[in-house]
Amino acid sequence: MKLKAVITEAKLLLIGIPVLLWTLIPVYHLFLFAISTKDSATSGRLWPKEPTLQNFSIVFHQQHFYLDHFWVQLGNSLFIAVTVGALTLFVATSAAFAISRLKVRGGRTVMNLALFTYFIPAAFLAVPMYKTMGVYGLLNSQWSLILAMVTIASPYCIWVLKQASDKLPFELDEAARIDGASPLQLFRLVYLPLMVPSLVAVGTYSLLLAWNEYLYAFLLLSNDRSVTLAVALGNFLSADDSPWELLMATALVYALPPAAIYYAFKRYMVSGLTAGAVKS
Amino acid sequence: MASLSFRNVEKAYGPVKVIHGIGFDIDDGEFVVLVGPSGCGKSTLLRMLAGLEEISGGEIHIDGRVVNDLEAKDRDIAMVFQSYALYPHMTVRDNMGFSLKLRRADPKLTEQRVADAARILNLDKLLDRHPRELSGGQRQRVAMGRAIVRDPKVFLFDEPLSNLDAKLRVAMRAEIKALHQRLKTTTVYVTHDQIEAMTMADRIVVMHDGIIEQIGTPLELFDRPGNLFVAQFIGSPAMNVIDGTLRRLNDGVFVEALGAHWPVPANIRGENGQPVKYGIRPGDLRIAGEGIAAKVVVVEPTGAETELLLQVGDAKLIVVMHGRTDAQPDDTVYLSIDARKAHVFDANSGTRLD
Repeated sequence: MKLKAVITEAKLLLIGIPVLLWTLIPVYHLFLFAISTKDSATSGRLWPKEPTLQNFSIVFHQQHFYLDHFWVQLGNSLFIAVTVGALTLFVATSAAFAISRLKVRGGRTVMNLALFTYFIPAAFLAVPMYKTMGVYGLLNSQWSLILAMVTIASPYCIWVLKQASDKLPFELDEAARIDGASPLQLFRLVYLPLMVPSLVAVGTYSLLLAWNEYLYAFLLLSNDRSVTLAVALGNFLSADDSPWELLMATALVYALPPAAIYYAFKRYMVSGLTAGAVKS
Repeated sequence: MASLSFRNVEKAYGPVKVIHGIGFDIDDGEFVVLVGPSGCGKSTLLRMLAGLEEISGGEIHIDGRVVNDLEAKDRDIAMVFQSYALYPHMTVRDNMGFSLKLRRADPKLTEQRVADAARILNLDKLLDRHPRELSGGQRQRVAMGRAIVRDPKVFLFDEPLSNLDAKLRVAMRAEIKALHQRLKTTTVYVTHDQIEAMTMADRIVVMHDGIIEQIGTPLELFDRPGNLFVAQFIGSPAMNVIDGTLRRLNDGVFVEALGAHWPVPANIRGENGQPVKYGIRPGDLRIAGEGIAAKVVVVEPTGAETELLLQVGDAKLIVVMHGRTDAQPDDTVYLSIDARKAHVFDANSGTRLD
């Protein structure tokens, strides 16, 4: 019996260790670059001779051509990600409530149509989206990116929230209706409090989606002071002698908020995104 | 407090009709139980009264006012659900005060009403707990508390005891009954359990396949079931029913069945030779020195009573007798029947023949 347990454990480790390495090596590489001096960055050593935090100092003090607008761009990323998260939550929660709880006629069809858009890769939609934003005169406004990201994130979020809503017992709504609740009161006082785990998961998902977005941000925003940090990072590579150590230091800073958010909400991420994923 | 009235109420889901023109009245303060097998439409009828289902045809009146197009919240009713339907994120106190909060009642008044209801239901010490921290019986009481706090015109109960274990069910049955005697609020109670119906109701409405089979007090239904369905549905153990033929001869009227003559009430209707169903309750069969011969199959003593399973011809009959018996399996006993206790139904229509 004990041998069996050991074998099971060994099998898991056999799979787990390569996966862990596969995931961590690029991150370690990133970290290594970030704490190396410019000359030793590409030396191939596993640990730099003279680890330094100088790169971070340069980043935070915006002491390089590519980093002139570092704080503004970080702020842009933050503003856009938070706005996308909030708007998507609003859209998806309202839609899921209407479809799942109020049983609005045609609601399911609308949801399926929205999901259908995922058949077309987002990259294919980039040009039409660019054109559309031009028609509305939103190019170069951060709202173009915000609206585009909300559009991309919403169908999945609606679907996840709808599945989670379906799991709430319908008697709760009936009890509330008899108790005298209007649909809005039902939404605010009964539905939202019970949906918190799923809302956190969906909000985090859309927030991170917008935070990590490169293609749409690159296309829709062009002014140096309005782009997100993701686009600014890309701009590092526009020259032949890119300052890799600064690029990596900036990237490390950029990667920290998602990691923190994910760590803080990991409990919700797992339960919230899988809740109702399968019919039970 | 209110009277209720159903006028030719119908319910259809698309082309499928599930309730076929039901009409009856409920007096102010009455405790009426809707009972029937699952799928008979009793819950649907209750939900139509509550405003949770559309009324496809006919009218429902509460206190003389047609409520067909009235929202559930405007009907001034309170409902207790089978699953309790307590708000999981609220404490007992907030659950019970929720309806008053929605109506923007004075918080002091709400506090007072919740405290009163909690005292009546013995929930005083649980007010700050969440539903998940309560036992099934306590949750049930909170659901009732939520109904009481509103002081509604009508209480509706939808199989409220089905999720409880047998012992608790009996206790809660008495509690609900006592509560009704205290508050005297008109109550409509749905159950599939005929014992619940018998013990709690002022009047019982027996439903089957979307129609009313019979309405009456529990003892009326027990003593004079209007048709075969009610006869077999009400009473535990169920009434013995055997196939027979009505005989009217010079020396009187009786039912011929299983090779024996079974006595019937003198005022029975029906013709000589008419096929009938002959019913007799297990408690109305007496073991005597002479009468209809029967073979003992099983003897089940329960202490105060003894239940016997007997074989007469190819039919099995159940007898419940007070006290104990020396009868053993394979013994032959004799059954005596009081003609006034017999129930005779037409074999085709199932209607009562006296």
